[in-house]
Amino acid sequence: MTGTANIPAHALERLKGLRGQGHPGGIFTSDFSVNEFLLVRKAGFEPVGLCVGSCIYHVGIQYSSWSKNQEMTVLSQAMYHARELAMARMREEAADMGADGVVGVRLTVKRQEWDSNVLEFVAIGTGVVHASGQPTYKGPKGRPFTSDLSGQDFWVLLQAGYRPLELVMGSCVYHVAHRGLFKTLGAIGQNVELTNFSQALYDAREIAMERMQHEATEAGAEGVVGVELHEGNHNWQPHIIEFFSVGTAVTPISAEHTIPDPQLVLSVNS
Amino acid sequence: MGWFSSKNDDQRRADAEAAERMGKWERALRGGDLPDFVRERLADAAAQRTPWLSTMTPAELLIVRSHGARPLATVTGTCWFQFGRSWTEGHVSGWRTAISRLVAEARACGANAIVDVKMRTSAAEGSSMDYTLVGTAIRFDSLPPAENPVVATTSALEFVRLLEAGIVPTGIAVGAEYQWLTDNWGGMSGSIFSGNQPLTTLGNFWERVRRRAHYELRQDAATQGNGVLAHTHFGQLIKQEVEKQPDRYLGRHIVVGTVVACRPGDALRLGIEMVVDMNDEVSPLFGGEREVTMPYLNDAEEGAI
Repeated sequence: MTGTANIPAHALERLKGLRGQGHPGGIFTSDFSVNEFLLVRKAGFEPVGLCVGSCIYHVGIQYSSWSKNQEMTVLSQAMYHARELAMARMREEAADMGADGVVGVRLTVKRQEWDSNVLEFVAIGTGVVHASGQPTYKGPKGRPFTSDLSGQDFWVLLQAGYRPLELVMGSCVYHVAHRGLFKTLGAIGQNVELTNFSQALYDAREIAMERMQHEATEAGAEGVVGVELHEGNHNWQPHIIEFFSVGTAVTPISAEHTIPDPQLVLSVNS
Repeated sequence: MGWFSSKNDDQRRADAEAAERMGKWERALRGGDLPDFVRERLADAAAQRTPWLSTMTPAELLIVRSHGARPLATVTGTCWFQFGRSWTEGHVSGWRTAISRLVAEARACGANAIVDVKMRTSAAEGSSMDYTLVGTAIRFDSLPPAENPVVATTSALEFVRLLEAGIVPTGIAVGAEYQWLTDNWGGMSGSIFSGNQPLTTLGNFWERVRRRAHYELRQDAATQGNGVLAHTHFGQLIKQEVEKQPDRYLGRHIVVGTVVACRPGDALRLGIEMVVDMNDEVSPLFGGEREVTMPYLNDAEEGAI
């Protein structure tokens, strides 16, 4: 039994029920889980505050040709512009509170019940500063870095010798052509690939990824980790889909970095 | 005849006892106190005259015992609250009352902390809601009972690990705000002809509501610690259309979080080791879905990003 030997004295004081004597540094807010909080501190950073940016956006209308595969540029722009605005506001809030960066960024889109053309975009994450004696990291152009990595992944990324630069994204809203009546009739009872559908999905995904890659190049990144490809339809016509790719652009911390070998374990209590 | 009368006597006695208990509850809740039979149960638990009750798993019991603490009793706080003037403010009042009742029970059994606190709501018909908190009161053998036991929404396992890292989860903070916005000029939400554009007036209004809720959260947390891990965010923007009057928007936002107290810049003594589990797929290290204490449904669209 180790008893309370491993618990710091100030924590024990607190458990005796003494109220804290006020905190000169003020209150930080964050949406970290306790494990994330612990690991971010272990990585040498302290949370300073929750950074939120939102944008309520009116999405314009675009008509698509029934039988044509095409990008819906108006919608693509809307989805990208609105997210960019939300992110920029989040970054601004982070800069205002003197944060070095924002980790655990989540991007959400919410439909408003009262108007199908109005979407609410929110970017939310925790602003962090480096603890004293720790090296600082900033994003491109001296702005706070942004990343959608969790506190756990943030710690592991630093262990791997990389640091986050910027949350990069690409969006493409695409209209998938309907199949003509004759083509449909001609293929009844046959095993065939619906090439126009395949092509549409390929093309849309490709465009979204290219746009993300372009952002990463702009940020001067070596690569992008944690890339996710989302496919969604925000209350549009059935043949319209959005491909959205998002990830964290990263760059090596230094030329030489030794990565500690992970221990191999075999848990036998499954 | 005697058979009937004896049953009636029993019945009367039971009714009287029930009525007495109800009366005690009523006086206790009104006076911010606990009924004497609850005090008695908790005092017995504190003195280890009765077996302890705990929501802990055996693994959690192990870690708590190995760190010089023991479970005392399951403690609860409940407040069924009706929304009259404001739904948003009602949530804050409901939670705060339930929290103070939970703490009162823990204090009565001489605890240092309440761990594994789960927040629950159940909506009733009409405009009222039940706010309930359930947790396990624990006591460190080497410490005196606390006047203000800390409230930790973390499991015992996480609680002890946090303590070792110099972080004390101290309580639950709630912040909420609602505001109305009148659309005097019309077209605040844009028309279908207006193309792609951000709706700035509405957007700024919504930001104000959320900022204010976060401010309230910080104010609530300031008395308890120096940080909030806000796990629950709930916001609604509702449009109200009234005939021959301008449209109105109601924005309401609630944030709930776990308050922590720590000393910024403290180095973490715990080492972290990276491991790779050699099991295929079924590794217990991967775990399943974690149970979250989430009293509100996530308000984001499914799969949306």
